[in-house]
Amino acid sequence: MSKNILQIEHLNIDFETMDGKFAAVNDVSFNLGYDQSIGIIGESGCGKSTLALALMGYVATNGTIAGKILFKGEDLLTKSDKELVKYRGNRIAMVFQNPESALNPALTIGAQLDEVGLYHQKLAKTEARKASIEALKMLNIGDPHGIVKRYPHQISGGIQQRVSIAMAILCRPDLMILDEPTTALDVTTEAVILDSLNNLREKLKMSLIYISHDMGVINKVSEQIVVMYNGEMVEKGPKHQIFDHPHHPYTRALINCMPRGGVVKEKTALNTIPGYVKRRGVAETGCPFVERCTKWNKTCEGLYGIREVGKDHIAACDRAYASDVPVKDLPLKTPKPKDATESTTDLLKIEELYKIYGKRRKIYAVNGINVSIKSKSVLGIVGESGCGKSTTAHMVSGLYEPTAGKIWFKGTNIAKAWNKRSLEILKEIQLIFQNPGRSLNPSHTVEQIIGRPMQILANVKTRPQRRQAIIKILKRVDLGAEYLSKKPRNLSGGEQQRVAIARALSINPNLVVCDEPTSALDVSVQASVLNLLNTLQSESEASYLFISHDLHVINYISDYIMVMYGGKICEYGKRDEVMEAPYHPYTEALLSAMPEVDPKKAPQAIALKEQLPDPSKKQQGCPFAGRCHKQVGEICAQEYPPLVRHSASHYQYCHIKY
Amino acid sequence: MNTFFYQLKRSPLAILGILIIFIWILIAIFGPSLMYYTHTHIDSEHQMVKPGVNRHLLGTDALGRDLLSRIVYGSRSILTVALLTSIVSTFLGIIFGFTAGYFGGRLDSLFLQTMNILMAIPPLVLSMVVLGILGDSTIFSLTLIVSITFIPATARVSRGVLLTEKNQEYVSAAHIRGESHLYVMFIEILPNTIGPIIVEATARFAYSIMMVASLGFLGVGLQPPTPDWGMMVIENKEIMTQAPWAILFPALAIASLVIAISIFSDFVSKVLIHE
Repeated sequence: MSKNILQIEHLNIDFETMDGKFAAVNDVSFNLGYDQSIGIIGESGCGKSTLALALMGYVATNGTIAGKILFKGEDLLTKSDKELVKYRGNRIAMVFQNPESALNPALTIGAQLDEVGLYHQKLAKTEARKASIEALKMLNIGDPHGIVKRYPHQISGGIQQRVSIAMAILCRPDLMILDEPTTALDVTTEAVILDSLNNLREKLKMSLIYISHDMGVINKVSEQIVVMYNGEMVEKGPKHQIFDHPHHPYTRALINCMPRGGVVKEKTALNTIPGYVKRRGVAETGCPFVERCTKWNKTCEGLYGIREVGKDHIAACDRAYASDVPVKDLPLKTPKPKDATESTTDLLKIEELYKIYGKRRKIYAVNGINVSIKSKSVLGIVGESGCGKSTTAHMVSGLYEPTAGKIWFKGTNIAKAWNKRSLEILKEIQLIFQNPGRSLNPSHTVEQIIGRPMQILANVKTRPQRRQAIIKILKRVDLGAEYLSKKPRNLSGGEQQRVAIARALSINPNLVVCDEPTSALDVSVQASVLNLLNTLQSESEASYLFISHDLHVINYISDYIMVMYGGKICEYGKRDEVMEAPYHPYTEALLSAMPEVDPKKAPQAIALKEQLPDPSKKQQGCPFAGRCHKQVGEICAQEYPPLVRHSASHYQYCHIKY
Repeated sequence: MNTFFYQLKRSPLAILGILIIFIWILIAIFGPSLMYYTHTHIDSEHQMVKPGVNRHLLGTDALGRDLLSRIVYGSRSILTVALLTSIVSTFLGIIFGFTAGYFGGRLDSLFLQTMNILMAIPPLVLSMVVLGILGDSTIFSLTLIVSITFIPATARVSRGVLLTEKNQEYVSAAHIRGESHLYVMFIEILPNTIGPIIVEATARFAYSIMMVASLGFLGVGLQPPTPDWGMMVIENKEIMTQAPWAILFPALAIASLVIAISIFSDFVSKVLIHE
């Protein structure tokens, strides 16, 4: 028997489509040893998931597959579907990105887990249940006996994902493939799952293939890293070597483009990777990264090819630090004439804002928040899903009517929905949505999309006038006039979001509400969108309300930060005040859970308990009390914490005495 | 459009369907002027003759009228009524369905109740009764009545697709820049729902051919001397044993058109799924 559990040799997967044949996976070979963990990283469209599915023997009907996949020395590609049953689920298990669609909503968790024991291992019913409970315990799920009786919709996304991992380990597989299992989850939940994965691996001696677009996550779970670009493996090596000295320019760019702890907008612009992943035809050869590479020179074509660059370290290119190409300096942001945080006038003031959804079964989304946005500044709201940050943003922009409370804007109370607001107010407050694909009308052209607000809100009546203005604004978001007649579906995600930004800024609003504008984008694109928003904000007189679940992003772009939990404010202050001690326990937990890209400083994540506040009940006490690792005592759950002021601009709501 | 041709290439059945529809349209436009006999000409010497006798390519009926020329003339009226019906019923369906779905609430429940009542009466019975009362049917009255009986179906489809689009973020984006309801409904939402609506319209096209033929068969369709395929079948019922071709050919005409349009309709929906 070989020392490798999995050997992939010259794997090619091509897809036949309307626009011709294209290569999704192109000549990929690598080995995975017993009890090893490998991380596959790359942007979306690089063939990571196609590769993973192929390992399980799934290829879409229009695909052809060639090469060898040797699992314990046996070629899986030569096996029939019937023979593959022995491997799928039994020896190779897979966990998908979205647990909600991977679990059957009509069966209880217990029934779905037991199935594995009943059919794969032919256990008796009671034994199968015993095994299920044990698997749940291994993943540190509190109250496994209660969970097995519930249906998938009755448990949170984090637990759902842990249940599907439990399902995967029930047969004690030798190899587990995880396809972005934590991308849809909150950072604190992600940290808990990554921890338990590492524990499982130690206990069960499995090999792991972990697919992600996030270098920080890969850093936590893998020893080996495979970097994929456009279907090709461009670099592979041990984690430390890849992080410390990447050889391929793409690897280096991927590592560098994440906003990491400490990077703030005043100091530097974020690194970006220009362009986006384009599909490659089967006939195309040479370096796939040519168009986006900053280190390209004439000798590249001849030198391209996988080669050894270090111990166990191979790469298709070693020009990551090449200095023979003039390095274009990133346009550093011109510092603002005066510090934004000095501004004292409030542009928008929120007083005792409440939003309660539903009549019979109530959901308390936002429970009385007071905050103001200073003019010409960026207020970042950060928190996990369900904390009320998006609801707050939508109330400010007028999508929903608040249940109670006031929103003061230029001396008038605008706590109303869009249909009761004046055109003047609608013009002054613009919203940028999370998903540009959904917020741009798919059947309108870019010209229509950007021109329409100008026409009805800014009184630019004639077409030629509008066209001129649109071309000007397109230039500001780094797009050219050729985009005028394109439709959203012909644009990449980053371009779509630029168009959405152009639409919001075309009429010079006073306040721009950004609702997670980068979370649907690839990291490389996220960096360029953040750079753009940042530049536009500093050039204009506008204030931004920036919503995100990513503390690094918030830290980069904000002047002020507000941390929300359970519809309440936990902490508010200037950026540097919030990011430094004294922390609110929740801010501290969030900070510790952020995946870091530097393998040397991986902080131990604070494991939070799984007692989320029930949004259908009116809160008593601190909303975070159920999960807090620093509880003072009974008082936390019974009394709402008092406001603790640390400075004129910095305050927290907490019972801890500082 | 690219998807359309791409899918067409790999679907021989759809090519056949489109070909048949195309041929029928050509026949309806140019056919009558190419006929040797007119549809009213009575060849009293050759009654119930077999196909091919005395230049009667498809034979004659009991009165000696040329079947080919009657079928060719008949294609004009049936295609006109069917096309108009599918356009009118789709158009009205969009207006009713969109208004009800967009505003929701009481208006929507009123709409649903009305549609349920209308749907409870079989379309054929409803149009038979109305046309029977009105007396002589014309292309106009036939189109109108059949369209009305189709509205519950088209309006429901329109309402359904509107509801899936209504909560999209681009609609929210339109709201918060102060667009009027009409603009949101017809400029923002309509273009994105047009696919399923077109599929429904093509299906209605096939249904209305069946409906017009059935009404003709029941005697409340277009009145003589306009040749109507359904009417031709019932007229020649008595001579079925002596001259089966007099029933066979009009029936084949109806069947070929309905099947071809149904194939086309299926194909359109397949193309739209792939898009």
